[in-house]
Amino acid sequence: MSPDREAGFEAVDADILRELMNIAFGKAGADLADVLDMFVVLNVPDVQVIPAARLHDHIGAEIRSQPGISVVEQDFWGDFQGNAFLILPAVAGKNLLALLAPEEGTPATGSTDPYAAMDSLEGDTLMEMGNIIIGACVGKLAELLGTVVSYSPPSVSVDDDLGRAIRADLFEPGYSAVVLQTVFSFGNRDVKGFVFLVSSRESVQWLKAALHRFMAQYE
Amino acid sequence: MNERDQILDAISVGLVTLDPDLRVRSWNRWMAVHSGLPEEKVVGAPLFEFFPRLENRVFLRNCRSVLRFGNFAFFSQKLHHYLFPFKPPRSLGGQLEQMQQSCVMGPIRGADGAILSLFLVVQDVTELVVQERRLVEMNMRDGLTGVFNRRYLDHRLQVELERFRRYARPLSVVIVDIDHFKRVNDEYGHPCGDEVLRALAASLERSVRKSDVVARYGGEEFCLILPETARAGALTLAEKVRRCVEAQRHAWGGRELSLTISAGVAEAQAGAAGPAELLQRADQALYCAKSGGRNRVEAEPVRS
Amino acid sequence: MTNRSILVVDDSAISRKILRSCLPRDREFVVVEAGDGASGLERFREHGPDITFLDLTMPGMSGLDCLAEMMALRPTAIVLVVTADVQARSIARALESGAMEVLPKPPTREAIGGALARAEGRLGARGVA
Repeated sequence: MSPDREAGFEAVDADILRELMNIAFGKAGADLADVLDMFVVLNVPDVQVIPAARLHDHIGAEIRSQPGISVVEQDFWGDFQGNAFLILPAVAGKNLLALLAPEEGTPATGSTDPYAAMDSLEGDTLMEMGNIIIGACVGKLAELLGTVVSYSPPSVSVDDDLGRAIRADLFEPGYSAVVLQTVFSFGNRDVKGFVFLVSSRESVQWLKAALHRFMAQYE
Repeated sequence: MNERDQILDAISVGLVTLDPDLRVRSWNRWMAVHSGLPEEKVVGAPLFEFFPRLENRVFLRNCRSVLRFGNFAFFSQKLHHYLFPFKPPRSLGGQLEQMQQSCVMGPIRGADGAILSLFLVVQDVTELVVQERRLVEMNMRDGLTGVFNRRYLDHRLQVELERFRRYARPLSVVIVDIDHFKRVNDEYGHPCGDEVLRALAASLERSVRKSDVVARYGGEEFCLILPETARAGALTLAEKVRRCVEAQRHAWGGRELSLTISAGVAEAQAGAAGPAELLQRADQALYCAKSGGRNRVEAEPVRS
Repeated sequence: MTNRSILVVDDSAISRKILRSCLPRDREFVVVEAGDGASGLERFREHGPDITFLDLTMPGMSGLDCLAEMMALRPTAIVLVVTADVQARSIARALESGAMEVLPKPPTREAIGGALARAEGRLGARGVA
């Protein structure tokens, strides 16, 4: 039995999800612009069904894997669950820090603290941003699907390579994940990156059902 | 009091809930104890009335995000240090003035799934931070003498050279080497040798300024990084140390011994290649000092 | 009253389906669909629809370009933009380019019904049967 048939996620399901993502990410983009006080573009998202074993390579190919990428990973769970990845190529990470550095007078800017290395500041700023962006994408999608999700604390790798940043064994083998991806940019395109949402094995069936519930409103 | 309220009052984490307009809805006992503000005083008032420094861009951004997207916002200790300025619960050697905190903010939803309010969990991680700093310190220090170790020296020199390149502030290094150290170990034994090293390290620390770095460079060598110091200043300081060591008398096992040091000075030049090059030039100068008779300070010749 | 002719331009078949299902049930419309900007423009020229529903984010010719072309062809055209991109800047651009209204996705029967009513009001005022 091919993994795709086991998952039961078909072309029409992908079409519905793509449209939902389009809507969700459009809303997320507008809200993000508001929350971050900056112009944000979330580009037309894509939906693919990828066997878990090939996920790592797929992501690598999409981001045209270079050294020095930064990755924020966050797990989300609920009826709809999986892993979310925000990936920024090297330069974007530095630009991001410049755009969003905490203002003077906040409890810790880290600059006078000998124990806060510069990486740490970049990593934590990245984590905060990643958390918000992932929250926007997943949250809006969950809303359209009629569900609510919880999140794990994000983990960050700064200036690393894909192999180390995303463990190859993260994905349980033998199932086909539904992968939602988009390219985003903000602050006049100084910061450009990718968001990948990878469904877990358990939630593929739920997702399918939720998509059909959504369309039922329009029959 | 119902079960849930009892739990909220018993737990050793802070729990605050906030309205969308950031007024306090609830304030558990931990928060009351550590803030000195009882529940009655705080509930219904704007959070920023009691904690004005929280009204900053980052905190507000996270609140907006949670209210809009329903995500969780994590305020790590590394980036924020703390959200609420509380005293550390126990005197942890006076290292940290404020309690270090790791906080999480998240949404509270109504029956229809709409986000009604925010929760904020506050955890005291002061002890963890102190432990971590201790480890970091140990990693930077030489076990025997307590001055910085080679690993830190290399890192710090890199940083100082960056600063030199960017702002053109003078920077010098001095390599200090004990004369005839092998003899000390042979005649008086290794424990004496260790004591001599400790004494010299202490002497060096006393002689330098706060912004200077004293590090153990090798078995019997130390390296000083002197920011904001040019050749002349470095020479003066090295000479001072030399005289001080020469004058000192050590007692060991009923005998008296005295020591001398040789030192090599080098100043960072424009177009400097890197830490290795600077150290090598200081080393050359040290070699001159040794071959020039020891108990001397030499600097590399001035470039024209 | 003649049946209103409606053109729906959107690259997503799902989105077109959703929009169609939001049209008032108690009336008949002549609906033509197009899956991208270029063919949308062609259908617009061929059929001269009373009302056009247009998506903004399409591959190839963008929604904004398509809108500009349509308004150039017929300055009195009624184009209702239906889009996922609800940032203020994008909405402003669409309105400046000649869209009568901008509606967020996913559309609801109420929103579409309301927009249609306002569009027909404008058509009626011009004396278009």
